[in-house]
Amino acid sequence: MRQRARQSRSPLAPELFRRLRSWEGLLLGVLAVIVVVTAAAVPGYLHPQNQINLLELSIEKAIVALALSFVIVSGEIDLSIASVMGLAAVLVAWLRQQGVPVEVGIVAALAAGTLCGLFNGYWVAIVGLPSLAVTLAGLIGYRGVALLLVEDRSIGGFPDWFNRLGQQPLVGPFPLALIVFAALVVIATVLLQFSGFGRYVYVVGSSREVARFSGVRVPRVKMAVFAMSGLTAAFAGVLLAARLGAVRGSTAEGFELDIITMVLLGGVSIFGGSGSMAGVILSILVILNLRNGLALANATGNTQAGVIGALLILSVLVPNLIAAARARAVRSARVEAGRRSLPSAK
Amino acid sequence: MRIQHGAALSLLAISALVIAACGGPAAAPSATVSATASATQAASPSAAGVAKATPGQSVKMMLLPKFLGILPFTQANKGATEAEAELKNGTTHAFVGPTADNSVQGQIEFMTNASTQGYKVVMISNNAGDQIAPAAQAAQAAGVKIVAWDSPIPSAKGESLFVAQVDFNETGKVMADMAINLMGAGGGKFAILSASPDAANQNAWIKALNDALKDPKYAKLQLVDTVYGNDQSEKSYTQAQALVAKYPDLKVIMAPTTVGIAAAAKAMQDGKLCDKVKVSGLGLPSEMVSYTLNGCAPQFALWSFVDLGYLTYYASYLLATGAIKGADGEQFEAGRMGTFKITKDPTRSDGLRVLMGPFKLYDKNNVEAEAK
Repeated sequence: MRQRARQSRSPLAPELFRRLRSWEGLLLGVLAVIVVVTAAAVPGYLHPQNQINLLELSIEKAIVALALSFVIVSGEIDLSIASVMGLAAVLVAWLRQQGVPVEVGIVAALAAGTLCGLFNGYWVAIVGLPSLAVTLAGLIGYRGVALLLVEDRSIGGFPDWFNRLGQQPLVGPFPLALIVFAALVVIATVLLQFSGFGRYVYVVGSSREVARFSGVRVPRVKMAVFAMSGLTAAFAGVLLAARLGAVRGSTAEGFELDIITMVLLGGVSIFGGSGSMAGVILSILVILNLRNGLALANATGNTQAGVIGALLILSVLVPNLIAAARARAVRSARVEAGRRSLPSAK
Repeated sequence: MRIQHGAALSLLAISALVIAACGGPAAAPSATVSATASATQAASPSAAGVAKATPGQSVKMMLLPKFLGILPFTQANKGATEAEAELKNGTTHAFVGPTADNSVQGQIEFMTNASTQGYKVVMISNNAGDQIAPAAQAAQAAGVKIVAWDSPIPSAKGESLFVAQVDFNETGKVMADMAINLMGAGGGKFAILSASPDAANQNAWIKALNDALKDPKYAKLQLVDTVYGNDQSEKSYTQAQALVAKYPDLKVIMAPTTVGIAAAAKAMQDGKLCDKVKVSGLGLPSEMVSYTLNGCAPQFALWSFVDLGYLTYYASYLLATGAIKGADGEQFEAGRMGTFKITKDPTRSDGLRVLMGPFKLYDKNNVEAEAK
């Protein structure tokens, strides 16, 4: 595992050093570089309001990334998240148009999102279909329902309190979504890193067989992570509706790729079993700060997407290349060891 | 070895930012200078109360179309650039925009970032309905003037002024007239192919058309559907095909969008349907000339987007330099286009409007000359 960097030979090497050489340490370094370079190049970047803006503009995606991390660590994928976001947003708006109060609409949207998640989970965990196929169907199907409900129209006219929650600062300069995100960061970290459930998720992701023989109820864990994913996506969809103040059938379309990028760049293995919440959080900050820096410098949306795409490719490629290089190095070191007394530490 | 990891990623991050920094506005530091500095040099209104611009001031301005990549917006930028040269603005304006498929989110992002970037004016063709309003209001509160052109903010919240290409109510009548011209006195069924459901101008025109249809003059016109092609050629094309399939006796597709009208005309041409279904609406002569000559789109209308960009730039410059305040009744001079007056917008209860006009109708007699 990546985090298990080879212990340094020096007995004095502190824990901190090992941490800094991990993926998380690396992201922290990248983040620092981005912050320093952007702060130097773009005036106003460090202004607190800009820092809030850059989070707020993508906060719904960041929230879903936290829940998606559980799915990916468990060795599965959920491609339907953005469609669930769209469906939830549409449900609130559509129900309101039918005369249902927004409060009830929100509950219905959250319930629908959870159901979507459980539906995905059923086919994956109980029936045993690959999650890629199941949630791809979800991506199309849930979006289809959203489009059926509102067709191509834009529905707005939410009550003031709903729009205010989405658009105005709630506490100090912080809007509701940011406060929620902060709370969810804590909850997700505790749940994945420090709870029994989190350990199950890792075990299930590492090896389904091992998990089963060691008494972990694999289907239950998988159902749970998909339900969490659905519920969180629906919640984020409602937040998005409040921030935008209007909803379309295509709301949140294409968000899944950005969200998956956040998780994978965070060092969560697409094959499951490894990664950490700290990595995902850092990766969210890296992406949002990079995006913001590029946007403030008037780089086009395509340029931003290209840069982040390149970052993702490197994040997948580099560890594999290094692992391959290291395997070669180990082999040649063994050969060399016959001639030299000690291989170099570096 | 871990270091290599980091080196690769950091290198990428640095290069990305270097690219970004190079592409960025060179005059960034000056952006922090307060707007009041330039406001004090406000031009003195001339005798007739017509405000004139004082050239040579530095005002950082952003021209934000619905999205980049289609001809009308490029033409508007041409007009803005022309005005900029005349006004000798020390800071070149930025012509930036989202991609068509990310228009709403993208416009909100540009608007949100505008004050951080030190812009004094955002000139926006709004594609985000009132979803842009919170960001526009925040920008205004931070001292940015918001001048809408082409497509306003429906509630006018966060908007200083709207430079209207034509009277939006007139657009409804012009479209109804074109429909009756194409269908003949017998009338018949027609459908609207619009841009995106959040485009304020589109929605206002559709409403105006619906209002115009109440006139007994148009009693035989039957509007059967309104569909959206999101200003994407492919989607507009399939939407036009779908309309014909759904309404076999459809006589006219009315597309008040340059992307939609061209896509619909091509769909009818490709389907060899031009004898049955005519296409009309708002189009660019250069894009429509072949369809007009082959009878698929015999008549359509538009205005000059170059002039719209030019006038918008003048109004924005005057507003940002304090020569006008953006109040009902103010008059100002806009270079070669003459004098304009700010009035209440009759189509939006809380908005202020500068009306450009006029409409120009195109058919086989004049389309070739204009297309050049």
